[in-house]
Amino acid sequence: MGTENPGRPNFPLTGSPFAAAPPTTTPFSASGPVVGSEASGFRPPAQPPQNAMPSVSSGPVVGPQASGYRPNNLPARFNDPPVISPPTAYVPPIGGPPFQRYPTPHFPSAHQAPPPRAPPIGQPPFQPPVGQVPSPASFHPQPQVHSVPMGSPPSRANDPQLPSDSSSFGSRANFQPPFSSVDSSYSASRANLQPPLPGYAKQANVVSQAPPMALFQAQQGSYAAPTPTPPPTFHPQQGGFAQPPPIAAPFGLHSRDQIQHPGSAPPIGGIQGLAEDFGSLSIGSVPGTIDSGLDPKALPRPLDGDVEPNSLGEAYSMNCNPRYLRLTTSAIPSSQSLLSRWHCPLGAVVCPLAEAPDGEEVPVINFVSTGIIRCRRCRTYVNPYVTFTDSGRKWRCNICALLNDVPGDYFAQLDATGRRVDLNQRPELIKGSVDFVAPTEYMVRPPMPPLYFFLIDVSVSAVRSGMIEVVAQTIKSCLDELPGFPRTQVGFITFDSTIHFYNMKSSLTQPQMMVVSDLDDIFVPLPDDLLVNLSESRPVVEAFLDSLPSMFQDNMNMESALGPAVKAAFMVMSQLGGKLLIFQNTMPSLGVGRLKLRGDDLRVYGTDKEHALRTPEDPFYKNMAAECTKYQIGVNVYAFSDKYIDIASLGALAKYSGGQVYYYPSFQSASHGEKLRHELARDLTRETAWEAVMRIRCGKGIRFTSYHGNFMLRSTDLLALPAVDCDKAYGAQLSLEETLLTSQTVYFQVALLYTASCGERRIRVHTAAVPVVTDLGEMYRQADTGAIVSLFARLAIEKSLSHKLEDARSSVQLRIVKALREFRNLYAVQHRLGGRMIYPESLKLLPLYGLALSKSAALRGGYADVQLDDRCAAGFTMMALPVKKLLKLLYPSLIRVDEYLLKPSAQTDEFKNIMKRLPLTAESLDSRGLYVYDDGFRFVVWFGRMLSPDLAMNLLGQDAAAEFSKVSFGKHDTEMSRKLMGVLRKLRESDPSYYQLCNLVRQGEQPREGFFLLTNFVEDQIGGTSGYSEWMVQIHRQVQQNA
Amino acid sequence: MILNLIFWILCLLINFGLLAIVFYALLCLTDLEVDQMDPFVATANINRWILPEFALQAVLSLLLLLTGHWILFLLAVPLTCYHAVLFIRRQHLIDVTEVFRNLNTDKKRRMIKLGVYMIFFTIFIFRVVLFAVNHILNDDDDDIDSF
Repeated sequence: MGTENPGRPNFPLTGSPFAAAPPTTTPFSASGPVVGSEASGFRPPAQPPQNAMPSVSSGPVVGPQASGYRPNNLPARFNDPPVISPPTAYVPPIGGPPFQRYPTPHFPSAHQAPPPRAPPIGQPPFQPPVGQVPSPASFHPQPQVHSVPMGSPPSRANDPQLPSDSSSFGSRANFQPPFSSVDSSYSASRANLQPPLPGYAKQANVVSQAPPMALFQAQQGSYAAPTPTPPPTFHPQQGGFAQPPPIAAPFGLHSRDQIQHPGSAPPIGGIQGLAEDFGSLSIGSVPGTIDSGLDPKALPRPLDGDVEPNSLGEAYSMNCNPRYLRLTTSAIPSSQSLLSRWHCPLGAVVCPLAEAPDGEEVPVINFVSTGIIRCRRCRTYVNPYVTFTDSGRKWRCNICALLNDVPGDYFAQLDATGRRVDLNQRPELIKGSVDFVAPTEYMVRPPMPPLYFFLIDVSVSAVRSGMIEVVAQTIKSCLDELPGFPRTQVGFITFDSTIHFYNMKSSLTQPQMMVVSDLDDIFVPLPDDLLVNLSESRPVVEAFLDSLPSMFQDNMNMESALGPAVKAAFMVMSQLGGKLLIFQNTMPSLGVGRLKLRGDDLRVYGTDKEHALRTPEDPFYKNMAAECTKYQIGVNVYAFSDKYIDIASLGALAKYSGGQVYYYPSFQSASHGEKLRHELARDLTRETAWEAVMRIRCGKGIRFTSYHGNFMLRSTDLLALPAVDCDKAYGAQLSLEETLLTSQTVYFQVALLYTASCGERRIRVHTAAVPVVTDLGEMYRQADTGAIVSLFARLAIEKSLSHKLEDARSSVQLRIVKALREFRNLYAVQHRLGGRMIYPESLKLLPLYGLALSKSAALRGGYADVQLDDRCAAGFTMMALPVKKLLKLLYPSLIRVDEYLLKPSAQTDEFKNIMKRLPLTAESLDSRGLYVYDDGFRFVVWFGRMLSPDLAMNLLGQDAAAEFSKVSFGKHDTEMSRKLMGVLRKLRESDPSYYQLCNLVRQGEQPREGFFLLTNFVEDQIGGTSGYSEWMVQIHRQVQQNA
Repeated sequence: MILNLIFWILCLLINFGLLAIVFYALLCLTDLEVDQMDPFVATANINRWILPEFALQAVLSLLLLLTGHWILFLLAVPLTCYHAVLFIRRQHLIDVTEVFRNLNTDKKRRMIKLGVYMIFFTIFIFRVVLFAVNHILNDDDDDIDSF
């Protein structure tokens, strides 16, 4: 690793703890978890036929299997050598028509409360005789316990996951709860479909192999019935976004299994394939016509917010939660050639410290006596997927398959099934996410205390905007909550054209100010006491914060020597590291790192030089950031200005030191103070991991090749993160190193070595396993739109730093088109889907998010559409956002609240009802309504023109008639106002990482309405960009070209 | 005659310098890639030698131009121009924050440079040998002439 810098122990770890994992691993043994989960092919005794199924009138034949659910939680060691492997139980006689998947999301009742031991019908689902029937971890003694998995059948039934090798059985109907409105409107139209088309013929054969014909109708709506007359119980299950096509083209008749797994599946397998998993959209227009022939209402929209994929939940139940690690597809391609057909990015978005809801906190484990158990060769941490053998004396690393010795103190007997007897006392062997307490080998120096250093601009504009006052108050109010009491250290520097240091020695009563005016040769006037322990110097710090606003209230200095000030702060902090918060109000004008006005030369825009405006002008900032990272200093930049301040340059400080950029254009404490107060408080009080490094290990044959986000690379695969917290996520892209992957499962292990605020050195480890597949369709099925969009956004923003915006946008579009074209090639020919647009169900929102991305502030339009600073700030923010917040930003929620406000009494359960998100188009706005638009960063409250004046009066009081730009939206003493505030508060609480300020907008009030709201309606045509329908048509045409 | 020999030896020495610098940079980059070296150290090491390299290359071109070796000058001038462009665009130094992202490009560029310098090296050494031999032979000739 060799990261030592002369003179100072730079960072923990060297060879041993974080040594690069040598990619020399051997293929996974067959006793791996994959096999274990293969065993999951066995199902619990089925419940009696579901007569309860309402619309599946033809269903009863189907018999008990309703196999959408299966017991999950098969532990990894389920199939260890000593155990006989039960897959045989699965290969069931055809007696029952098994393997059929119900669209259970619709009929949750069907699976509920099965009798504890229902007599299996026709099929022995479970082979009891075996004396050795393994009793897997949570599937304890008897088979009856299957009521456990039954608990939530809908979700798991919905779950198309099968482990890789059982995929041959998979009818991976990727059922997706359809939009209810669509559902109803389309079931009718669908019924007109003319079923038998040539593409169908093939299916008919398949069908003929299967006894229960009726299954199909029950199962998949879009499937045209085998009989000439469509069944009455036609049920458009998915993909029902189409108007009746000119020529009805049934789809969903693909029998993938026949193609992909010849011979590996029982004949019945063909049926499964019918449960298809792509959506389609009929695009009826002739090229050249304006009318797209597309029903805008039918287009897919993320109105339920981001749905985390839990598709692998069953087979890999010990994976870490997707909030920590999301792969773009939970199916790793087995070969280079397969990967080259997957045109989306292959990679992951990691948010190592994501906030866990109560009860799901990451357990902290302290291996006092044994030291942390890791693989000798590849340094993998012990995790739920390792297997213990040799009666517990050895364990096999799941990543490199090396047999390691179990340390004496960690030894435990294995039971008959090969599980450790103490499994339940070992969270690291059950849970995908754990925190290990790291012993001293993982430290190069004693764990640093939490350290906050404030660098505050006190030039005239900072004074006038009121920024100093807000900052001082907020810091003071947070002093109690700063993490790490009593070790926390703080320090302050203020600067204008000179730099002011403050001696805060605890014996003083008032801080002493020292002014250094030699900007070219900065020195620190005092060796100690510039950085003090908060608990010791608390009175001095408070006195300083109290006097800070008044100290500079008459300051008329317009200059700002940011560069030298940063250098000074760096000198003070470099002993310890920590977090540097910079509050900057004007463009740096003195000393090193001074910047000049850029971006006012309009001739540059649209040329090849345009991108230079989005990169740092002065290398000082990049170099400074690199230095900071080296000394464990993370920089957060708070920029306030009504003029150009060159965020592109300032942001580099944050970007390469793992920090964050907050930008408050035209900051005025009266209107924006609340936002700053909240976000600064959040920054100061959220749980922070100090002096961290992160590495993602993965199995043999694959490698992470590029990383995207705010950090600096310490070596090819080691991310240096001086201060990391729950609001930061990092993207990474994978590549295959070998042409063919031989293993069946690939494991990923994210390890973040950090110092917790309490002073403990810890390693947070997230482990996930995903199957390797040989089938492109499977990759599409397991795709995760959120992760893909997140990586697309990061790639596009990076591209915008070296290319024109136009190029960045078109690259996103091109990749979406390529992905859909590949998918189309997979299915369309076979099914004669002629004029229809088809897309994987899992990626149905990809085009929309792609559109939203190209309309986001970071990539939108040309120079006039977004101020340069806004654009850069949006880019920096988006590079750090976790998936959920990014999706919210791209497709904000729009909800109508007036009806809720007018209702006499507000119940809490009503709250959920009003949270119905509307499509983001101006057509959603009713001029009699009141709407709240929330993108996670701000609210826009839209008052319709015909909104009852009474309501407006109630909400705004006397201001109702005034100009909204001057109205501050406060609480009024009326029921409605309280209710609206309640709604806003709930919305804010749902995501505390940023604070949304309210912007009031009246219908037709230009340019405010356009600026705040209309430009953000991604589905509308705005200023030359295409609307959603046009975009879909456009994509569709491009897909068809050379298809 | 002796001046010619000295000139070629000088060129060879300059070329040695260039080769050494590029080779060292490649070594650092390879070390960096396999995690043997800290990025800060590696970039500092490489950057320290970038301007000397540019200067040497420029001096070499100038020497060739002034001594009227047009063909060799034309061979050398593209690389010099490339250096000049990099310098003017301020892209000549390796950026420690982006070093891993550009590692492969940087390596490739230096490999090409190494190749170019090797070509010059063979030419120069050939010339040196040629002139040295000539020189000796000429001396002999002189001896013969003097008879």
